[in-house]
Amino acid sequence: MSFQPMTIEIIDQIRPMIVDLATRYRKSLRGCRYADIRVQVDEGQAAAAENGGSKHSTRDYTFAIGIRALSGNGMIAPGYFGQSLGAADLDRLAQVVKDGLRHAHHRALANAERKSATREGLDALGDALTSTSLAPIDIHQDTVPAQFEIDPRTVPLEELVALTTEVSRSALALDPHVKYTFISAYTLLTRELFCSSEGANIDQAFAMTQGTCFIVAHGASGTQELYDYMGHQRGWEVLTRGVHEESIRFPDFQAFSIGLANDAVSLCNARPLKPTNREAVVVTDPHYNTLLVHEIVGHPMELDRALKLETSYAGRSWLFRNMQEHQLGKPIASPLVSAFSDPSLPGYGHYKYDHEGTPATRVTHIDRGIFRGFMNSRQTAAILGVSPNGSYKATDASLVPLIRMSNTVFGPGERDPQEMIREIPHGYYLVGHRTPSIAESRENFRITAMKVYEIKNGQIGELFCNGGIMADTKDYLMQVDAVGNDFRLYPIPNCGKGQPMQTKRLGNGGPTMRSRARLTGISK
Amino acid sequence: MKSTAELAKAVEQALAYLKSAEQVTEAEVFAASNGNLLARLNYTSHIPCNGVEEPKSSESYGLGITAAFKTEAGVTVGFGSEPSDLGLDGVKRALEKARSGAVADPEFSSLPRPTGERRRLRRYHDPKLMKIRDEELVDVGWRVLRGSLKTFLDSPRLIELAGSRDRIKELGLIVGGDVTIQQERIAIASTAMPEVQTDESTLIMAFITAMVEAKASKGSGCSAGTRLDQFTDDAGVEAAQNALAAIGGERIPGGKYTVIFGRQPVADFLNNLILPSLSLGNFYSESSPFMGRLGKRVASSRLTLCDHGAQRGLMGSKGITCEGLPTGKTRLIQRGKLVGLLASYYEQQRILRDPRSREKLGVDPNEHGSAIVPRNGFRYWAGGGRQFGVQPGIASTNAVVQGGDQSLEELMATVKDGLLVGRIWYTYPINGLRAGDFTCTVVGDSYIIKDGRIVAPLKPNTVRINDNILSILSNIIGVGQEVKGTLVWAADEVVYTPEIAVRNVRLDEIASFVEEL
Repeated sequence: MSFQPMTIEIIDQIRPMIVDLATRYRKSLRGCRYADIRVQVDEGQAAAAENGGSKHSTRDYTFAIGIRALSGNGMIAPGYFGQSLGAADLDRLAQVVKDGLRHAHHRALANAERKSATREGLDALGDALTSTSLAPIDIHQDTVPAQFEIDPRTVPLEELVALTTEVSRSALALDPHVKYTFISAYTLLTRELFCSSEGANIDQAFAMTQGTCFIVAHGASGTQELYDYMGHQRGWEVLTRGVHEESIRFPDFQAFSIGLANDAVSLCNARPLKPTNREAVVVTDPHYNTLLVHEIVGHPMELDRALKLETSYAGRSWLFRNMQEHQLGKPIASPLVSAFSDPSLPGYGHYKYDHEGTPATRVTHIDRGIFRGFMNSRQTAAILGVSPNGSYKATDASLVPLIRMSNTVFGPGERDPQEMIREIPHGYYLVGHRTPSIAESRENFRITAMKVYEIKNGQIGELFCNGGIMADTKDYLMQVDAVGNDFRLYPIPNCGKGQPMQTKRLGNGGPTMRSRARLTGISK
Repeated sequence: MKSTAELAKAVEQALAYLKSAEQVTEAEVFAASNGNLLARLNYTSHIPCNGVEEPKSSESYGLGITAAFKTEAGVTVGFGSEPSDLGLDGVKRALEKARSGAVADPEFSSLPRPTGERRRLRRYHDPKLMKIRDEELVDVGWRVLRGSLKTFLDSPRLIELAGSRDRIKELGLIVGGDVTIQQERIAIASTAMPEVQTDESTLIMAFITAMVEAKASKGSGCSAGTRLDQFTDDAGVEAAQNALAAIGGERIPGGKYTVIFGRQPVADFLNNLILPSLSLGNFYSESSPFMGRLGKRVASSRLTLCDHGAQRGLMGSKGITCEGLPTGKTRLIQRGKLVGLLASYYEQQRILRDPRSREKLGVDPNEHGSAIVPRNGFRYWAGGGRQFGVQPGIASTNAVVQGGDQSLEELMATVKDGLLVGRIWYTYPINGLRAGDFTCTVVGDSYIIKDGRIVAPLKPNTVRINDNILSILSNIIGVGQEVKGTLVWAADEVVYTPEIAVRNVRLDEIASFVEEL
């Protein structure tokens, strides 16, 4: 039995047809002012093991399209269509895309009519309903290859099974305190085609490889459930050799998982941290700051949140009340703090163009304590009157893009992290992020750490479990008094946003930092 | 959307093929066709906007095959799926993926077998929702949005606050949320259960947030049903009314409070903390705070909770699970005692064979089979319905908290001095699920109670709850009478619950710097 395999090379075959549909066919849709078509093909492999037993493995593909139309006669409004496809759709793809374009266009037309009618019928409240526009961008035609050493498609599936099973087995066998291990791994190639009625024709490919480790250990202090992941936009070598780049460093997957299991064993026998009602000096390591910058800098810097589009879901931003009242140009952090989003950095947040064809741009969010700007899309940039900066990304082509972080990080400082600790008479050192909970407009956070060490007279002391910190965002950022020179980038594989919720991979990071916050611990 | 007849025919043909396929000793075919249509709203009176921001849809169909293979290395089991092809080519592709990915799972016993229970729910979908047109999708979005905006426009309070009707837009009126329509069709058969079963369900729901942002007031509204004809602008009206009622919110100092949790917070607790803790899979991995507690008290005797997947008219009801087994009522917590768990067939079978099962559950599962009946094996993924490309996991259907004997007014009288908390956010188990510690913030629909009466709204985003779910469950002092359905962002299950009053809830005041901005 033989089938035509479904591969990412299919993009080469369909590219002229998609260009034609986005440009020539779009013109046949009366009232359609703009359209774009995204096509995505993934080829990947995955395996999982539990307690040393293999549970699952797969080699498969995904194939999807997403379409946006801006249509209307006078008033313009958006409409969308998305569909998951299969190999069987290839012969009829032109018709499938045409049907999708018509659905998106009809929705946009109907939406424009209702918007116009509602604007007329709602007196003063109708004024805010305006015609949809996209800020202009330079239009590109480009092909961007994936970077990898070991092609994810060439790895025998048995190798993924063997690796996950062995890692799960050895982590379980490490220590009698370890009660449960779940280990998974995947490696894939993704290829994304973006074509618009403006003439954009962009083909980008990405490699992606990730290992995930979940450990449950039980000891004198109870149970510890630790979860962590390593990954990069590279091939299978990520898990077999680790990553040894300037800002991204991981051991191989086996060593990574054993390290996590060792931490779980130590923690399940460590005392729980006691919460405090007063602030303490806290030093946070780059891995902890990865989640911190994600939650208290990255998310409130997304312009769709600031413009209230996520009010019902992922929340707003305390940085922007309205067009007149906002924090742009004002101090929101210590002069030692800078933060930015940079898609040109390596890692999960790397890309050259976003999902509406805007070239990826480094966005400065905080420049030496001053708030400078948001990540945006063409539509939100037009509302704010600024240039698009290429931050509009979808998890899957069938879903509508959202404004997303790329590699959003705290910038590096100049201090030696060890010296930052040595200067502290009493404080706490938080190592590794665990679980976040953030206030709706990101004005307050509580984030737990994997490990919390007491610092006494400049020395690292006792290890505590179940600890973390809680603080108001602005107060915390303003009180940063030291920033390390040990900048690191880490992957975040599961950022949730939108409706239906899209879970996205992106990059975050930063150096070691020192500030003040209340300690959190167990609540019983 | 593919019809159930097309899905059933595909499953029948696939099973016939699999019965003679090389090395296949057991097989199951699951075909599904899903539509997820959504009109996402964004109205901002003070910022240019579209009103209905995203009328959109995402569709898929295909089939998935789980097969056990007899190989030289022993029995292996694999899963493969193929989108957009219900024909024999699709079956062959899916089978080859299952074969190439098959592993020797040491805990695999068999594919699902009949449980002895009978299916109770059939023909409960709305054909109109299955055929909704593009214009109708846009219309339901605008209907709900207009409901909110008319409520704002007609509010004397807003006119008074703004100075005139023309200026109420300056108060920063926001309406966000969505109307979502879910269309699901499935068919399933296996070598153990060869008769093809089909199931078809529809759901239309609206979840709306309205704000008077200049006054820091937020209100929520939701509605859900299974029929298009019954859909109104109620959710939009309710959200705007609740936003108006919340104007003038006050801060409170941190401390321990007696709190009446409204339906959304109870749903958030269930969705993020309690239901995962009642999943049999988390007992296997030793991650539940209820480890070893089956048959023992885990909550106040005022709390009774069940999962009911076969109740006609409830939003989360299904005729069969994605393992082809009948849905039904699973008693989870009965008057404070843990009596049952959410189970899939795979998890049920492996806990029965787990040498540490007595330690994990607290009882021998072989003697308590009725506590772990597999009525909750579903293939949900990313809010997109029952997916052919996903293997079954454990999910609740309708989580139903039994109503108590007190009206809301009587609950407030019981509380005397405390809080009515109507909406919380970002509720996570902060130190792992088993520890029970959680945190969240109060984001709207909340009020301060003094002398048994509401005296002022509680300002949103000014307090954080830091507590433990085991303490919350133990400290329940009252349960409301009126049970209603509610929805939680990104959750597959639907929660039916009354308000619940809890004493000694720990709150911390937060974000005072915002007052100075």
